[in-house]
Amino acid sequence: MRTATTAAARRRTRNLVLAAIAGVGVAVWVFPVLWGLLTSFKTERDVLAYPPAVFFTPTLANYREVLFGASSILPNLWSSFVVATAATALTMLFAIPAAYALGRLRYPYKRASGFYVLVTQMLPPVGLIIPYYLVLQKIGALDTYVGLAVIYLTFALPFAIWLMVSYFEDVPLEMEEAALLDRAGRMRALWHVILPQVRGGIAVTTIFVFLNAWNEFLFAVVLGGNRVRTVTVAMFNFISVEQTQWAKVAAGAMLAMLPVILIGIFAQRHIVKGLTVGAVKGGGRR
Amino acid sequence: MRNNETKGPAKPARRRVIKQGAALSAAGLLGPVLSSSVFAQGDDLAPYKAARINWRQAEGQEITVAVIPASYFENLISLQPQFEALTGIKLRFEKVPPGQIRQKAVLDLSSKTGTYASHASDPMYYPLYVANKWVEPLDTYLNDASLTDKAWFQFDDIIKAWRDANSMNSKPYGVPYDGEVTVQVYRKDLYAAKGLKAAATLDELVANAKALNDPANRMYGIALRGFAGAGQNMYIYPSILKGFGGNWGSGGKVVVNSPQHVAALTWYVDTLTAYAPPAVRNWNWPDIADAFSQGTLGTYVDAHSSAAVINNPEKSKVVGKIAYATWPKGPAGQCATSIWNWGFPINAALNDKQKKATWLFIQWAACAETQARTSWKFAGPAKRSGINRVSLWKSPDFAAAMKGMGDNFIPAALDSLEHDTDVDWRPRVPQWPAIGDTMGTAVQAALVGQKKPKEALDEAQARIDQIMKG
Repeated sequence: MRTATTAAARRRTRNLVLAAIAGVGVAVWVFPVLWGLLTSFKTERDVLAYPPAVFFTPTLANYREVLFGASSILPNLWSSFVVATAATALTMLFAIPAAYALGRLRYPYKRASGFYVLVTQMLPPVGLIIPYYLVLQKIGALDTYVGLAVIYLTFALPFAIWLMVSYFEDVPLEMEEAALLDRAGRMRALWHVILPQVRGGIAVTTIFVFLNAWNEFLFAVVLGGNRVRTVTVAMFNFISVEQTQWAKVAAGAMLAMLPVILIGIFAQRHIVKGLTVGAVKGGGRR
Repeated sequence: MRNNETKGPAKPARRRVIKQGAALSAAGLLGPVLSSSVFAQGDDLAPYKAARINWRQAEGQEITVAVIPASYFENLISLQPQFEALTGIKLRFEKVPPGQIRQKAVLDLSSKTGTYASHASDPMYYPLYVANKWVEPLDTYLNDASLTDKAWFQFDDIIKAWRDANSMNSKPYGVPYDGEVTVQVYRKDLYAAKGLKAAATLDELVANAKALNDPANRMYGIALRGFAGAGQNMYIYPSILKGFGGNWGSGGKVVVNSPQHVAALTWYVDTLTAYAPPAVRNWNWPDIADAFSQGTLGTYVDAHSSAAVINNPEKSKVVGKIAYATWPKGPAGQCATSIWNWGFPINAALNDKQKKATWLFIQWAACAETQARTSWKFAGPAKRSGINRVSLWKSPDFAAAMKGMGDNFIPAALDSLEHDTDVDWRPRVPQWPAIGDTMGTAVQAALVGQKKPKEALDEAQARIDQIMKG
């Protein structure tokens, strides 16, 4: 009886400590977002108030200005959406077969080609701006959706391939062999047998690729322009040389986060599944 | 109908319209959407047609001009339909964030893309542009009677310091559109309470800061830009250097570690360490203006255009308590204001027709009428304070528009513009971008106490010698 109580008490203490640690971790993560959220409902005067006001009269003026004002970010949200979606679709189109090949097929210089894919990730992006600018200018693709989407593809592809290879490797070889024995071709086996197994991995990769493209700033500002101006660049314009409009920056940031958060919520099931799929199955690795 | 938006009996009516428009704007949602249409500045083209040139000689051309998102350019952008109606040239503006506009302009110019017919350019970049022949010398345009009516345009009326800053070997390469003067900004109420007066020397500036400094009550004596960068701490440090009688070397050698440099940097570090908010090391001017507007600063020295922020009733708690004075003199008996201005050059990669179109744009943007229409005649709330002409600075209309800025605003700025300018305020060499960054890092390293001033400057000198060897 006594030992049971102490054990239960000890367990309770341990849970409390763990919860406290987790709470601190979450707080550290949540704080900037929450701060941004609060700021987005403040007037510029309240933003600067000291001590910082936790209770204040919220205003929707920032959102109104950011959405429908003179410098509305709606067109920019659309630009971001088009660029990020196109870049993601293109990336997945190439990355899935490539990752499958790297994970499954046997062919000469396989290791070298896998390493080469990784090498392209080692270049610092800043060093590529000028060459990319010149290339896009030559082919007339500066400030176009195609230009920016293709540039994003070059960054996203290696990343996507490497992320997905491990998922493909984790699918038991026997499943594919069974499909092949049933006289399915490689493509059919890939499409009907393998892909359903790596759904989670594809979902995770798609989201990461989309997120990176959505959040990208450096290339968007240099290679974009009046026609293609992504939301990250537009938001930066609220920090002008005259003054920083913190409340509007915050409102813009909140709006820019929204689509990504929605996608995250919808895809959460897949992400969780995707992250654990290798752990439960195992044994398929060759 | 004609002309009556500037003179004559229609004026009060127009004012009323503006007021109503401003009220709408304050009401929120609709204001900004309508601002370009309801706030018509008077689309009368007669003042332009007084120029004896053919404004339509480049009709049908299309030009793109890169500017930064700032109210003084927004005002110009709102006049774009007038320019198109006047010239038949299709004009597009592209807004590029201030941190990126130089990079984008250099990419465009160096690759000879001709994307930007003109752009709002940093005066410190002309040495680089001119060394590479990326921009057109403008004397030929100014002297061509078919392109410029000299008597009407009055190029010499544009503030000399800014014209000089945009010239190389006494040839103009960019025409100033908007500019800044460095002024001393102080809280006249706090000064009066302690019996202080605006500093005439750097020593007095420190003494004032000391008298007001009271960190326990969230009051600091002074702030100057502390953030590292060619346009941040390297905006304020060169003026201090000039006050200490220093220079940047000569004959292709850039010197940054002379005894005057060390003295100037030591003064900057000591003053800010003792009397500025600790965060000043990461502050650029908007942060300084924000702090001042919240009543936590006694004095700062920065661009006169910051007056708009500290007088913004939506934000500021110190409206009506502000006064201005010139940059205090240093031990060498001089002071130097910034010669900062946004000028418009002509991209040399354009064809002749496009160049003409671009020149017509520049002439239109920099002429007295457009300057007035983007300042006191502007119907929106933001009246530009950086107008480019001496005659306009001295006009009663401008004085009326700037009345709310605080005491001595225009006299302090004009005094500086006429007496405290030095075109070699910063080293005018093509390598400036790299030098500016190197110096920005060195000055900040000294400010945060990472290095002693002498040590930081010696290291910067070594790096700059490398940059100059190139």
